[in-house]
Amino acid sequence: MDQGGAGEWLLVCRAGRRSMKLIARSLFLRIFLWFWMTVILTGIALVLAFMLQRGPIPSRWNGMLNNTARYSGTIAIAEMDHGGVPAVSSYIEQLEREGHLQACLFDSSGSAIAGQHCAGFQDMARRVMGGKTPVLRMRFGIMRAAMMLTGSDGRGYIFATELPWGPRAAFGANHFSFLTEWGVALLVSGCICYLLTRYLTAPILRLREASQQLAAGNLSSRAAPEMARRRDELGELIGDFNGMASRIEQLVIGQRQLIGDISHELRSPLARLNVALDLVREGRSSDLAVDHMERDLECLDEMIGRLLTIARLDASSAPIQFTAVNLGDLISQIVRDAEFESRKREIQIRLSAGEEYWIEGNPELLHSAIENVIRNAIYYTQTGTSVEVRIESSGTPPALLVQLIVRDHGPGIPESELVHIFRPFYRVTESRDRQSGGAGLGLAIAERVVRLHHGTIRAENAAPHGLQVEIALPLVHE
Amino acid sequence: MEHVLIVDDDVGLCELLAERLRADGFALEAVHDGNSGLERALSRDHALVVLDLMLPGLSGLDVLRSLRTQSQMPVLILTARGEDIDRILGLEIGADDYLPKPFNPRELIARIRAILRRTTRPEMPASPLIVGALRLDPALREAWLRESRLDLTSVEFALLETFLRNAGRIQSRDSLTETVLGRRAGPFDRAIDVHVSNLRKKLSAAQEGEWIKAVRGNGYLFAARGGDR
Repeated sequence: MDQGGAGEWLLVCRAGRRSMKLIARSLFLRIFLWFWMTVILTGIALVLAFMLQRGPIPSRWNGMLNNTARYSGTIAIAEMDHGGVPAVSSYIEQLEREGHLQACLFDSSGSAIAGQHCAGFQDMARRVMGGKTPVLRMRFGIMRAAMMLTGSDGRGYIFATELPWGPRAAFGANHFSFLTEWGVALLVSGCICYLLTRYLTAPILRLREASQQLAAGNLSSRAAPEMARRRDELGELIGDFNGMASRIEQLVIGQRQLIGDISHELRSPLARLNVALDLVREGRSSDLAVDHMERDLECLDEMIGRLLTIARLDASSAPIQFTAVNLGDLISQIVRDAEFESRKREIQIRLSAGEEYWIEGNPELLHSAIENVIRNAIYYTQTGTSVEVRIESSGTPPALLVQLIVRDHGPGIPESELVHIFRPFYRVTESRDRQSGGAGLGLAIAERVVRLHHGTIRAENAAPHGLQVEIALPLVHE
Repeated sequence: MEHVLIVDDDVGLCELLAERLRADGFALEAVHDGNSGLERALSRDHALVVLDLMLPGLSGLDVLRSLRTQSQMPVLILTARGEDIDRILGLEIGADDYLPKPFNPRELIARIRAILRRTTRPEMPASPLIVGALRLDPALREAWLRESRLDLTSVEFALLETFLRNAGRIQSRDSLTETVLGRRAGPFDRAIDVHVSNLRKKLSAAQEGEWIKAVRGNGYLFAARGGDR
């Protein structure tokens, strides 16, 4: 026994089974085969319905059909007269061979004389004997005729034959042409089904490729954008998928950046703490070391607190309590608190606010957001200058807004950097001012809080120098 | 009192380090950006530079690159943990050793001491070493390959000296790290490999073939070449 051969055969079998499985799973093949089968079955059903139809034959055809049958019959009887049974038999065989038509000659008593398929004509012959008139009948989609004919010697015969009429005749008597006609029909329907199936499944395959790549970690992969131009549901699906992929990519990149920034920012206070701790341990403790430790611990605590706030705002799964808040009150309180510190640097805070501004929001979050913006302005404005805080209402009645504008007289920010300043840990210069504690998170928190309150926040440079931050929040209208 | 320069933008850290290092007999001068760091490093006022790679303005690597074109002064780089590329790049450009931040100040002092011990070693007035076409004069701190003088950093000089003294014997990476860098090799510590690779590049200029062979199982073998010509 050839073991190797058997093994190979097994492998082939397995491969075959696998490919069968693949075929069974492939949506493309399934849709294609279903379409094609439907087309083919519809065609076959149509033909069968014709074939099995046993309705009466339209009378206007009767004369012509009878004439055709009579013509063949007359020849058959002439052959009988001249050459006897062998001559008739060879004529009927010739009919079958060349015309693909069965025929049979009976004598007047109804017993067969010549022909190989006489059994099938027996009942028609009997009817002719009974009624003396020609009989026409449809059988298996082909016309048959039987009639009484008289030979030259006056003997009566019954001739029965198939006629080249009826649905089956449409297939062509010739087997070869039958095959080509059906072959063409199959090919054309197959092609149409193939194109249709491809049109339907191509976007799905593209989508699958893209999602596999996305799952493998290639976050920049997108499904073929040219497909998204299709104006059907599949085109929309691809558009949606690409939108989703972009959003995921953005989020993941943002998170990665944040984690990198956090670990980087945590390192500085830790490095200082390490040195300060060592100074204390060596017994050379000084106020400097202890002061530094205290400041760094505060800095770490503040940074972690702010990070937690950001995480809470980003998650946005926990519901945040909203109540009616008077923004005017809130801001004047923040300004009062900030003035205490700003006075040390001879910075004036100019607040200009009108009536009350009621908005729907979370007072705690709004407080920290606005405080961050105002303290940021105080931090960057030059000593001896002022920070202007302005509140005004704007917008048209259905969409009333309250606008808070905070402007400092500091160095401002390069235009190209303006979009980044709400990013966590963003700093204009790479210079990390370690004394500022959690700086780099305040504006990021403000942006998230404002977004949570369905508002907008933007920053722009003021002339001649300084930064102006504008927050717009929807007003509650009673 | 040894004078040490630190280039780091973290003002608080520099203050604390100055205080801590003073106790161990080092006078620490701190500058907080790359440009003034380079300027001070070129002043020859210091025995060693501690250089943070994350600097505003001129980056730490740029400072090191410019410094190496003019001076072979010992440099200890401070890198962020996890940023291995910067660390390897720094060593390739010619830093003597590195220390990841945050670090223990005692570790910093130990590294500074190890580097200084290597660069100022007057207690051994050794005679010149000659192996093959290489000649090394420990007293003058000069190395020659035939008629051309090799421009080596202090680590590379120490490395070459160790190799010459042990020519034909396999030196393990651990023992090289201890004798050359003056410390124990940490896990995944590729510092000695980077130094060996730098030294190889400087020796290969003469097209003599390989002087230093890597030996499987963590070691290097120095083979004399070009002696009989």
